[in-house]
Amino acid sequence: MADQVTVFEDHKNQRIEYSTCYMCACRCGIKVTVENDNVRFIQGNRNHPTNQGVLCAKGSSGIMKQNSPAKLHQPLLRKPGTARGAGEFVPISWEKALDMLTARLQHIRSTNPDKLAFFTGRDQMQALTGLWAQQFGTLNWAAHGGFCSVNMAAGGLYMMPFAFWEFGDPDWDRTKYFMLWGVAEDHASNPIKIALEKLKRRGAKFVAINPARTGYQAIADEWVAIKPGTDGLLALSMVHVLLERELFDWDFLVRYTNAPFLIIDAPGSSDHGLFWRNAAGHPQVWDMCTQNFADGMEAGANPSLSLLDKHITPDGRTVRTVMSLMIEKYLDASYAPEQVSKITGVPAETIERLALEMAQVAFEETIEIPCEWTDWTGRKHDKFIGRPVSMYAMRGVSAHSNGFQSARAIHLLQILLGTIDCPGGFCAKPPYPKPVPPPIKPAQHSAPNQPLSSSPLGYPTGPEDLVIDEQGNPKRIDKAFSWETPLSIQGLLHMVITNAHNYDPYRIDTLILFMANMAWNSSMNTVEIQKMLMAKDPEDGEYRIPFIVVSDAYHSEMVNFSDLVLPDTTYLERYDTLSMLDRPISETDAVCDSIRHPILKANRDVRAWQEVLVDLAGRLQFPAFVHENGEKRYQDYKDFIVNYQKEPGIGFLSGWRGKNGDQHLRGEPNPRQWEAYIDHQSFFQHHLPLNIRYFRFVNQAYLDFAVEAAYIPKAEPMFIEIYSEPLQRFRLAGEGVYDGPRPTQPADRERLVKYFDPLPFWYEPLEQQRVSAEEYPFFAVNQRPMMMYHSWDSQNAWLRQIIAQNFLYMNRERGEHLGIADKSWVWVESHNGKIRVQVKLIEGCQEDTVWTWNAIGKQSGAWALSPDAPEAARGFLMNHLISELLPEKTGERRLTNSDPITGQAAWYDLRVRIYPAAPGEEGTWPTFPTIKPLPDEPRPVDRLRYHTHPPVNLKS
Amino acid sequence: MRLGLVIDLDTCVGCHACAVACKEWNTSGTTGALTDYHPYGAQPSGVWFNRIRHFELGDYPHNKTINFPMSCMHCENAECVTVCPTGASYKRAEDGIVLVDQNKCMGCNYCSWACPYGARELDRASGTMKKCTLCVDRIYDMEIPEEERQPACVLTCPAHARMFGDFDDPESPVSRAVRERGGYELMPELNYQPSNKYLPPRPTRPIPTEHLRKRGIRQVKDWIHQAVTR
Amino acid sequence: MHPALAVIFLTLFSGGGFGLMALTALVNDFQIDGGLNPLQTMIALIISMAFVSIGLLSSTAHLANPKNAWRAFTRWRTSWLAREGVFAVMYYPFAFLYLVWVFFTGGTHDAIGLILANLAAIIGLITIFCQGMIYAVLRTMRQWNTPLVPANFYAMGLAIGATWLAAIQQITTGQPDPALIGIAAALLVATGVLKGIYYFWISRPGGPTIRTATGFNRFSVRILDQGHTFGTFLTEEFGHRLPPAKAKSIKILMYLIAIILPLALLAIALWGQVAALAVLAALLVLTGFGVERWLFFIEAQHVVNLYHGRQQC
Ligand SMILES: Nc1nc2c(c(=O)[nH]1)N[C@H]1C(S)=C(S)[C@@H](COP(=O)(O)OP(=O)(O)OC[C@H]3O[C@@H](n4cnc5c(=O)[nH]c(N)nc54)[C@H](O)[C@@H]3O)O[C@H]1N2
Ligand SMILES: Nc1nc2c(c(=O)[nH]1)N[C@H]1C(S)=C(S)[C@@H](COP(=O)(O)OP(=O)(O)OC[C@H]3O[C@@H](n4cnc5c(=O)[nH]c(N)nc54)[C@H](O)[C@@H]3O)O[C@H]1N2
Ligand code: SF4
Ligand code: SF4
Ligand code: SF4
Ligand code: SF4
Ligand code: SF4
Ligand SMILES: [Mo]
Repeated sequence: MADQVTVFEDHKNQRIEYSTCYMCACRCGIKVTVENDNVRFIQGNRNHPTNQGVLCAKGSSGIMKQNSPAKLHQPLLRKPGTARGAGEFVPISWEKALDMLTARLQHIRSTNPDKLAFFTGRDQMQALTGLWAQQFGTLNWAAHGGFCSVNMAAGGLYMMPFAFWEFGDPDWDRTKYFMLWGVAEDHASNPIKIALEKLKRRGAKFVAINPARTGYQAIADEWVAIKPGTDGLLALSMVHVLLERELFDWDFLVRYTNAPFLIIDAPGSSDHGLFWRNAAGHPQVWDMCTQNFADGMEAGANPSLSLLDKHITPDGRTVRTVMSLMIEKYLDASYAPEQVSKITGVPAETIERLALEMAQVAFEETIEIPCEWTDWTGRKHDKFIGRPVSMYAMRGVSAHSNGFQSARAIHLLQILLGTIDCPGGFCAKPPYPKPVPPPIKPAQHSAPNQPLSSSPLGYPTGPEDLVIDEQGNPKRIDKAFSWETPLSIQGLLHMVITNAHNYDPYRIDTLILFMANMAWNSSMNTVEIQKMLMAKDPEDGEYRIPFIVVSDAYHSEMVNFSDLVLPDTTYLERYDTLSMLDRPISETDAVCDSIRHPILKANRDVRAWQEVLVDLAGRLQFPAFVHENGEKRYQDYKDFIVNYQKEPGIGFLSGWRGKNGDQHLRGEPNPRQWEAYIDHQSFFQHHLPLNIRYFRFVNQAYLDFAVEAAYIPKAEPMFIEIYSEPLQRFRLAGEGVYDGPRPTQPADRERLVKYFDPLPFWYEPLEQQRVSAEEYPFFAVNQRPMMMYHSWDSQNAWLRQIIAQNFLYMNRERGEHLGIADKSWVWVESHNGKIRVQVKLIEGCQEDTVWTWNAIGKQSGAWALSPDAPEAARGFLMNHLISELLPEKTGERRLTNSDPITGQAAWYDLRVRIYPAAPGEEGTWPTFPTIKPLPDEPRPVDRLRYHTHPPVNLKS
Repeated sequence: MRLGLVIDLDTCVGCHACAVACKEWNTSGTTGALTDYHPYGAQPSGVWFNRIRHFELGDYPHNKTINFPMSCMHCENAECVTVCPTGASYKRAEDGIVLVDQNKCMGCNYCSWACPYGARELDRASGTMKKCTLCVDRIYDMEIPEEERQPACVLTCPAHARMFGDFDDPESPVSRAVRERGGYELMPELNYQPSNKYLPPRPTRPIPTEHLRKRGIRQVKDWIHQAVTR
Repeated sequence: MHPALAVIFLTLFSGGGFGLMALTALVNDFQIDGGLNPLQTMIALIISMAFVSIGLLSSTAHLANPKNAWRAFTRWRTSWLAREGVFAVMYYPFAFLYLVWVFFTGGTHDAIGLILANLAAIIGLITIFCQGMIYAVLRTMRQWNTPLVPANFYAMGLAIGATWLAAIQQITTGQPDPALIGIAAALLVATGVLKGIYYFWISRPGGPTIRTATGFNRFSVRILDQGHTFGTFLTEEFGHRLPPAKAKSIKILMYLIAIILPLALLAIALWGQVAALAVLAALLVLTGFGVERWLFFIEAQHVVNLYHGRQQC
């Protein structure tokens, strides 16, 4: 080549470092070129399992995040004598800040640990924060899952050994038919994009179910414009079509699910709808060959699906199979495509065709992978049979108050087609599969100076696992695991401020928020939440939430409302683990975890939050963090990660364990483990051999492997629970016949009876049940823009050039019909409030739906943007319209606007009406006071010319 | 050699990753820095070499969204070069890359008028015209590992909707993709003969369902009970 | 197109200056109505050079990096812009020498004088052609990509030259000159007609469409998002447009100022023997054609606008 001798840039002053991206929770591997301590280039790491060399827009603009003028510089204390929210802060030293915090926390811990509420946002370190909370002894801890996508986690994990979200993925290399439900970007943003291209290259069909057509849906082979909140019904209608034509995987249902289990049919009695169990406590089946009852958990039986028959047991009980209940339920005419079409807006023909297409691919385009494997019964197989239909679903399904049951409905469709953890199907990512549900119960009691007996979060399987007092009242500030939302396995972050403000169920003392912008885009009802943050108690003149501590790295809206600001480092400046104890970066065919390490030296007086937590844990003498003599056990976070063991040989990082670093997954601490990770490009990957890649929930070799790696307690098969007994237990409690705790309030009883159907079903989202569709004719939802991460990317000089203002997108024909012009300003009104926004009329929008990009709107003055920034002047949040509470009903206490089962925030249940703004009415409304700049905040520059060396001009 | 890019409209999801990666690489590249104006102000803008537009085809409900990345097409008939009075704009004989010599450009904008594809942007701080360099400082830099000697936008594209290669070589992946997928040029009527080509969306594979329909609806009692050992 | 004042001034004044030069030479060549006297010639030359200089100076104001302006002559083999520069600069020595010659010898139409005058005039006329071609070669803008553009440039440059010459003649003699006024009037009418043809031509659809721009010829195509919230160099440079109704009224105004009023004033000047009116006419022509230049730029629709949502199908 002609230019081989050209010297382009001098690489002498450059060094290459490998780490993990933090611009979103996808956690791609990055290769960073650093030149004279400035970032020259961030690119994808080609060897990394997650992103295989590619990088998204956010990842590629990490330079501008590192360069942001909104970075915090030093710990800040609300200026004495000024009001919270006024934005007056004084710098305080780390020593003073931590002394002050330690004293406060010590007092709380020694009196009533629940007075500390510690909640974290989109963090990636729940294993540490959860351990910290448990050691502190407060029940009041959770991460962001409750307002994010707990419905996907719970919907999956109460039915299957794994779930959507970060727990499983389609077998991208083999699937031939892919159905995507309600996904704009997801946490697997790069992997999904990589995969979609693979699918299309292979000629697989890609169907997208979504009211909006942008992004992934743009490239779908078929776009199904569904009405929001009706996915569950659509899925069950396809179930109807499949059952009607006997198109399901008979073997799969009998072998791997509880479809043949016998259910007691005794309405009104305390065991109605529970499994008929034998003395060993095992559910029983009806054996077709022996014509007798048999143990459902033992190998060898030939269970009947028994369809419509009922059996009478020797002790005189009437029992019937789960399958017969399914038949009865789903063959009902209410699930027929013609009926369902009216509610979902999807043509009946389409529903039927899609179901049949999937059956065709699943059953007639089967794939086989020759491989010897043994299932839990000891049966040997010489191949894996794959039904190459796969699905993925996320917040379009989860962010509705029927999302739990809808996620189950989608799983049911997959289960009928037999596409679970098989070649071409939907596969688990280690540490999943796990027993259904995972065998951890939430801690129920706290006591002064005592760690909790288990994690504050877990998986209740019946009313006795709720975290309530003797009167049945919630014990947690977010009311998780109470009658209102019994299976709230990830807490309800969106209720914390409201409940704490209302002293409901009690007054807390200190609220610690890490990485959650609760004063803005992460709360429903932003206007009211800001008032609550500033509200004082009329009796003692104290703030209703007395002390707020915020760990943030940037000048977010939340920082403005805190009393103590603890400034964090950036992702290029600190140590971090993406641990197997948390939600690791595993692939379906490999166990993976990874780290971050300091690539740049922080040039501000900031400390990594994990360092602060480990330090506080020592100061507060948490048993797991101090020696007998009270001395700190861990010098710092790095030391903690190396030496902390959850059980012998199991720590935060699973690679390069053992004294010499030659053991993986389990092994003694390795003092040089960090170095080993850094030497291996900051990630660890253990490929699973082919024989333990599929059917892992019943694959004996995998089960043994998973026990050794401490993913599961026992090497027992993990059956799929189409019929959920835990749900039935709660339903019995609602009916008042349960043999255990029962709710007293009518609202709770009604909800348990109505929504805790042990078989997936569909109901109209709760808010929509209370809001008139005539008055509020539009559904209003959000999408993630691919190049922005929630609130935190508007400070990014490059990304905000792409999008600095959001619009309300609306179906063109519908808009024109209403006399709404493109780009005009309109009022959007919900039962809870109104906003003024600018409209864009487009084709790719279901006609009864409006949508906008999430979290583009900003409060003026935040994020070091100039006060007249378009994000504040013209951008908007849908959150002002949404309420964290359901519309009031007389005689009923205010209920959370969440899924009644899991407590998932129902962001997308919103209904609105829309009308043109008066001439001259322009600009976004409501407006908020301008946030003051922080001490030390640099003035925004007029021109930015970022570069790491002078250009090497090429001569013409 | 005739180097250029192929953009696959069948897989581009419109994520803007390529645009940002381009900005990131080139702000310290041969024509850097790429100035940003009012980066934190009321009307942020700046110099970019690669921009993604989004279009809609057809009317609801038969509509389709197309994401449309555009950068310099490195035209065979590069009028932008012909019209440049200073000789700052040039097309390299050896590989067809069209570049701007920053030391010669006088910032008259004329080349940008001649470019139909909006590939040229004036940097008001340096007063010079800038454009996609096809990452000439990546693809020929022998100190960069060979597999990474690719344009930044191509390396980063999560949907692998961008390919880089030599159109003069009929067996190069880009030539083959254009041949097999019906790759086309934009605005051929202007006869700039752009090197970059666009691949149209692939047709959808039909999945037969007739036989399943014919099978008809079965009564549950007609189901064939199968003995399956658990 | 962005109607940048610098470019408007460049083509307006330098075109006018070259037109004035050409007419000066023409009148002296053929001694029309006895030719111009040395004073008139010198005034015409000074104004011509002043106009050309105003044009060229303002064009450098358009350069973002003027320190490299000297390189603008290097690519005269391919670039009409370079050619324009080369010829514009070549015009000066001849025009200047002619001025000097007339000043020292009074020889407005002796052999040397005429050689200098005609060389300056021809170079000027070539420069006008180059100027027109700068725009006419651009296939990216249908409104420019036509021989009508250089034709219009000629018509306008000459019309300005003729009205100014008539005005100079009248001011210096106090007498209207029927021949010069006749030429000016004829050129004004011709310009009006040519411009009319041009407007008719650009009013018909043509050129690339949003379909050929994207390659989707069988569907309706609409922009969903241009990929940036605010302007870019491209939208600032090319994103201007004029609503048709407004364009129409401005065009009527332009005709009024540039052609109809000057014609009327010239007629009155001729019959009423009012010298000042000819000057007023000359000023109006310049102003009117300034408006025409503005329209010429703002009405040019660069094809890149198709990528920013211009709905041409
Ligand atoms: N770029 C980027 N990536 C992100 C984030 C980000 O902010 N930016 N955030 C991360 C986080 S925290 C999360 S939780 C994930 C969420 O990732 P996604 O699950 O992709 O979440 P949303 O953007 O909310 O997308 C919801 C999609 O569902 C559609 N939808 C809405 N209602 C319905 C419905 O009822 N049915 C169907 N079928 N579709 C519906 C919407 O149109 C939208 O396309 O993304 C993560 N990744
Ligand atoms: N209307 C509507 N609202 C929604 C949603 C929706 O779809 N529609 N989605 C919801 C969902 S799923 C989610 S997950 C939430 C978003 O959840 P959040 O976690 O609240 O997301 P962010 O707005 O990004 O806020 C994160 C905060 O972390 C800070 N931060 C960034 N980097 C660091 C760091 O390195 N260290 C520390 N300590 N802090 C850092 C940021 O500055 C910011 O203040 O939004 C929810 N809100
Ligand atoms: S998807 Fe993008 S932002 Fe998220 S981790 Fe990967 S590169 Fe970073
Ligand atoms: S795309 Fe434009 S800048 Fe690039 S070669 Fe073609 S005409 Fe020149
Ligand atoms: S702006 Fe620079 S590169 Fe473009 S035509 Fe003018 S001198 Fe040439
Ligand atoms: S080839 Fe390089 S310069 Fe051109 S668009 Fe891609 S990244 Fe930018
Ligand atoms: S990175 Fe790839 S998918 Fe994303 S916009 Fe660019 S070409 Fe399209
Ligand atoms: Mo989320």
